[in-house]
Amino acid sequence: MTRADWLVLACLLAVQPWLYWHYWRDQGAADSAVITALGQAPQHVSLQHDQLLKVHGPLGDSVLEVQAGRVRFRASPCRGKQCIHSGWLSRAGDFAACLPNRVSVTLVGTVMRYDAINF
Amino acid sequence: MQLTPTPDDHRIAWLAALAIVIHIAESALPSPLPGIKPGLANVVTVAVLIRYGWTAAAWVALLRVLVGSLLLGTFLSPTFVLSAGGALCSIIVLGLASRLPGRGLGPVGYCALAAQAHMAGQFGLAYALFIPHAALLHLLPVLMSAALLFGVLSGIITATMLKALPPQHHVPAA
Repeated sequence: MTRADWLVLACLLAVQPWLYWHYWRDQGAADSAVITALGQAPQHVSLQHDQLLKVHGPLGDSVLEVQAGRVRFRASPCRGKQCIHSGWLSRAGDFAACLPNRVSVTLVGTVMRYDAINF
Repeated sequence: MQLTPTPDDHRIAWLAALAIVIHIAESALPSPLPGIKPGLANVVTVAVLIRYGWTAAAWVALLRVLVGSLLLGTFLSPTFVLSAGGALCSIIVLGLASRLPGRGLGPVGYCALAAQAHMAGQFGLAYALFIPHAALLHLLPVLMSAALLFGVLSGIITATMLKALPPQHHVPAA
């Protein structure tokens, strides 16, 4: 091991925690959901209003439930039901998908860096 | 027209064949997560870089990806694109690293750098071309850590191998 080897290893090791911090940090509470389904434009839904949403996919309708700032798959015509087992999503960056029915939901937050920008 | 292969050509072909065998043997190993594999064929690339220089190493790495994909039946598939992108990135980074002044890097440093470059390039391509979804980024830290771990391991293997080889060992020209 040369000195350069140690230096390279130290740099690479130092980058690792940063990666975890950057990609895994809590991005705050979410305030809207983006629902994507096969062949449809992404649908933005606010989490302020409780509601049941039917999203049409190749197998039938997936039902998404919005309640108290959270969202979950409530029903889906797939076999594994993994989307339903994902449970409630409430943090920005959370993600659940029903692959068989080609429906996915991602939460987005509004921790905005600026209130307004003008030029 | 007749092409006469030089001893260098023969050597590159032998070493590339060795890398291809490792590449294919490794593709049979199960992986805990898509994208994670030991990358042992990189041992050959780095050993060649240290012994015979960057040009030979680049040939060996790119021939391995090309022939490996032809034999595995993944040529021009997404797997091939990712593999080629990763190999290209790592060979570029190895080229820059081998130009360091002084004693420069040893096998461990080279392997660790190459593994990180391979993973970063491959992940960037996967994200840009195939799955441009933010959820994919959650995988990045795990993949990079695994790449670093396997990079250091294959670096240790390379160092051991180079020590065991006789000095200036010449691969027999057929």
